[in-house]
Amino acid sequence: MLRLLRWLRGYVRFTVSGKYPERFINITLRNQLRIWDAVRREDSLSACMYMRDYLHIRRYARGSGVKLRVCERRGLPTLLQRYSDRVGLVIGAAAFGMTVFIMSLFIWTIEITGTESISESEMRAMLAENGIYVGAFKPAVDYQSVSRAIMLDDTRVGWMAVNVTGSYASVEIKEQTPSPEMDDVYSPCNVKARRDGRILRIDAEEGKTLLKEGSGVVGGQLVVSGVMEDMLGGVRLVHAKASVIAETDYHADFSIPREIVTYVPTGEIKKRYSAELFGLKIPLTLGGVSTVDVLSDEREEAAVPLSVQLPAGIVSRTLYALEREEVSLNDNSAKELLIREAQLYEVFSRADCTVTKRDYRFSQTGDGYELTAGFTCKEDVAYQEKIYMDDN
Amino acid sequence: MSKNDSQKKHRLHELPPMGGTPCIEFSGNREVVIEGSKGVLEYSTGCIRVNTAGMIVTLSGRGLNLRCISDSALIIDGFITDVAFTV
Repeated sequence: MLRLLRWLRGYVRFTVSGKYPERFINITLRNQLRIWDAVRREDSLSACMYMRDYLHIRRYARGSGVKLRVCERRGLPTLLQRYSDRVGLVIGAAAFGMTVFIMSLFIWTIEITGTESISESEMRAMLAENGIYVGAFKPAVDYQSVSRAIMLDDTRVGWMAVNVTGSYASVEIKEQTPSPEMDDVYSPCNVKARRDGRILRIDAEEGKTLLKEGSGVVGGQLVVSGVMEDMLGGVRLVHAKASVIAETDYHADFSIPREIVTYVPTGEIKKRYSAELFGLKIPLTLGGVSTVDVLSDEREEAAVPLSVQLPAGIVSRTLYALEREEVSLNDNSAKELLIREAQLYEVFSRADCTVTKRDYRFSQTGDGYELTAGFTCKEDVAYQEKIYMDDN
Repeated sequence: MSKNDSQKKHRLHELPPMGGTPCIEFSGNREVVIEGSKGVLEYSTGCIRVNTAGMIVTLSGRGLNLRCISDSALIIDGFITDVAFTV
């Protein structure tokens, strides 16, 4: 600290040569001038003194018969004096200071922690909607109201806080823990079939089974009743619960025209780079591919030193040239495409049941091809329906 | 000034007035703080003589340095081998 203060005030290291340098020291000290780091050499004495004090000691040196020689000047005043003629340097330093100050008024890095089911990009979009994004003006953002607004908007967010340190915003999130669904096991209900089918198996835990395995069932038909009768003819209502495994049928139609348009890669690939700095994209390379139709793949590599994402990075964009091509399909290729479509339908639309049999019927229409797909599935068709009672 | 020095200074302020006699505090034989000095009479790397009220303190040794000097106090460091008081 003392060194810093000395440096700020500026000091000189000087040598005192003569017969009695001690006398000079005493006279100087008597005049309330500070000396430090006094080192004795063979024929001289070296010491330090504040620059302002040094201006007054010439007469004391003359009085004590010693000669003074400045070895070096140090400190801030020396530095300022050295660069006072270089206006550009001063302007540059001022501009640098101003830039740092202005830049510190914006948010340049956002880090989100604590997300589990909410994706980071989703949270970034929500924050951006409420005014927190890379490049946001800090004084214009009310962090507490942003937290409150997001917590009200999205029920998945149980608690959140936005802490801003300098230009770095840290968003901490605790997601809402959903309360577990309570099974209603007491209210009386029936078990019915969701859709038409042939019953393969009924596993009834509670209730009176009305249908037998192997019999057919239509959608909405009562399978297990919640109304139980005892030996004496009395009626008791129960919460019927059962799984009804049935064989069901599904049909789906797929069609494709004879002439289809496809985009085929020509093999021409072009890579374009751009630097992203504080939300601005600066292109580093120019040029594109020769075709109109292009497939673009963009990747962003942000600078993340010590796990802190900086508002700088390189964006690489790969352009693949595509050529529009009209293809006329033959029977085999049309069938292949339609079966692929049927398989996708099976995977995505019939994910809740097990397909045991597939039946594809391929036919030609006036302007294309058609595939009628039949799926035989095994699934649980049971659903519970509450028994409403009138107290009167 | 190091933390040690400032602690010493602080303790010197707590000392009771001794009627103009100097306060001399040694840290082993490596450092000495003299409060109440009236001037340096001789200064070389082997010997430092300090005038105080009523006596002269002579410190002999090797590599003696006046690390910090003010009008009434000074800190000397080095390897002190001998101390003498001339009354």
